[in-house]
Amino acid sequence: MLLNTASAVIRFVTTLEDETTVFYEKLAEKYPEGKETFLSFSKENRKNKVAVERAYYGVITDALEACFSFKDGIDSNEYSVNTNLPEDTSYSDAIKVALDIEGNIQKYYVDTASLSEGLMADVSIVFKMMAKKRANRMVKLREIRIS
Amino acid sequence: MLNSFLDEPIKEPITVKNYVGGEWVNSKGELVDVINPTTQKVIARVPISTKDELNIAVEEAQKAFSSWRSTTPVARARCISRMVGIMEERFEELSRIQTMEHGKTIDESRGETRRGIENLEVAASIPSLMMGYNLEDIATGIDEYLIRQPLGVFGIIGPFNFPFMVPLWFAPYAVATGNCIIVKPSSEVPISQTKIVEIAEEAGIPPGVWNVVHGGRNVVGEMLDHPLIQGICFVGSTPVGRDVIYKRCGETGKRVISQCGAKNFVLVMPDANLERTIPACMTSFYGNAGQRCLSGANLIPVGEGLSDAEYSVFYRKVADNFVKAASKIRVGYGLDETIQMGPLRDNAKKNRVVSYIEKGLEGGAKLVLDGRQVNLEGDWPQDAFLNPSVFEDVKPDMEISQEEIFGPVASILKAKSLDEAINIIHSNPFGNAASIFTSNGKLAREFQYKVNCGNIGINIGVVAPMAFFPFSGSKDSFFGSLHGQGRESVHFFTESKVVIQRWL
Repeated sequence: MLLNTASAVIRFVTTLEDETTVFYEKLAEKYPEGKETFLSFSKENRKNKVAVERAYYGVITDALEACFSFKDGIDSNEYSVNTNLPEDTSYSDAIKVALDIEGNIQKYYVDTASLSEGLMADVSIVFKMMAKKRANRMVKLREIRIS
Repeated sequence: MLNSFLDEPIKEPITVKNYVGGEWVNSKGELVDVINPTTQKVIARVPISTKDELNIAVEEAQKAFSSWRSTTPVARARCISRMVGIMEERFEELSRIQTMEHGKTIDESRGETRRGIENLEVAASIPSLMMGYNLEDIATGIDEYLIRQPLGVFGIIGPFNFPFMVPLWFAPYAVATGNCIIVKPSSEVPISQTKIVEIAEEAGIPPGVWNVVHGGRNVVGEMLDHPLIQGICFVGSTPVGRDVIYKRCGETGKRVISQCGAKNFVLVMPDANLERTIPACMTSFYGNAGQRCLSGANLIPVGEGLSDAEYSVFYRKVADNFVKAASKIRVGYGLDETIQMGPLRDNAKKNRVVSYIEKGLEGGAKLVLDGRQVNLEGDWPQDAFLNPSVFEDVKPDMEISQEEIFGPVASILKAKSLDEAINIIHSNPFGNAASIFTSNGKLAREFQYKVNCGNIGINIGVVAPMAFFPFSGSKDSFFGSLHGQGRESVHFFTESKVVIQRWL
């Protein structure tokens, strides 16, 4: 799907946050050693979704350039995440998958934030904040993978 | 795979009813189809109510007035706040309905919903906004104070281009100050106002306070003549707003806010940040398919401080970037989230725009992007669709430069200096909005200081005032004294009463 309007960009974000919420809930169930971290991530995802939607629905008024905020747009396929884990996936491999997902989502937030900086600044600010959270999350995932 | 289409909230055609005295009433008037401009399917049927039906609504409103005006401002404000809460819950449904009945994109509809809600939020602070003032001891032992009192019944006549928001520039303030209202939505887009009054009912607004009567000229004519209606709020075209609404309100002694047509100029200075200017221009010129009184219509790259050769290069850069961006706009159904511009409201409005494109060609302007070649995303009937058009070589006295086209057509003019550009703006009969894109504060201030338009944008393409500021306008764009939204609305809907007291 082409992500070229504020509506499309926000919906894709919420889809990503929803999908990864379920993903981390499954990880928490399957890998007790990382349960606490995974549950904290799924909880945070729900908050992220609310924060992003709040930024969009809060500032969008008939004066804003929402239809043209994301320049020529980007392709959602470049940022899609695969949250399916085969049954026999090891803890370490599961974290590797999580790291890939987080890297992808972080890139999405960074790329869209830079596209919309001039026109929907509030959304851009929240996206940058989300990208930072994702970076922190990747550090945490690496830590629990080693330990 | 993510689907870019959002569900339609209206599945079957609905028959819209009047809401009078707290009852949903079938009109005796003829029913007219409401067509989704994208799909061309009937989504509703709206009555063209009779004069008698309007008269009954006015009587019901007048009956409710005495009790509503003595309801405490805090209680009235709470009703408005409850409406805000319900609208937030139904935000998405309300927005998608606008897209279905008008054609605008979902982002635009959500923007409209948000601005409508903001007006309710501002009106919910009526206990503060409505306060008067006082002075003790104007003479020894004598105090003087001012109080604001509601007047009675007001009529609100909505346009087709913002079916949800525009009546909310007025209605919440009228009701919060203790008045009662009759809203007459555009018969082309009657569903949003019907939903709003449903919400008003749910929020506990008493019967008779917030009424909706659907219809056409008959209803408007009766509103203008009715002796119990104290004032009229109208948003629409200049010929109607000036020659019918404003004139008749003057004759019958009614208060009036008549917000009318526009032909807005957007100036681009050599020091403007083009990367930000061009996308802002796309929204300005093509947002709402150009059907908004704040749409950019005439673009002027201004050669302030440039030699002729430098101006040529600068002009070309602005024009080429503008045309390139306009040519890439995705046109289709606004419920597809990837769509950036929807259709015109209907085929007749499209034909009117096409006639202006033809006038432009006949007048000698150069059509560098021809939106008559319709290119849609999706398999929709082309009846109401146009793609963006751009004219170059437009002279200030051409019809396409002077008159309101109300569609996705941009005219590019030339001006060597800011003074010349301002003179061009002033040669136009309208004065709704004007914008300048520049990084030079001095030029921006000069523009703001000199330009005779009600709403000025500095690096802003769509100069839509927030709910707590008045929606201004001048020249042929506005007729009246006070404006809609914010404090001015509160003054419009109340009479100042002065009390001077001495206790002996």
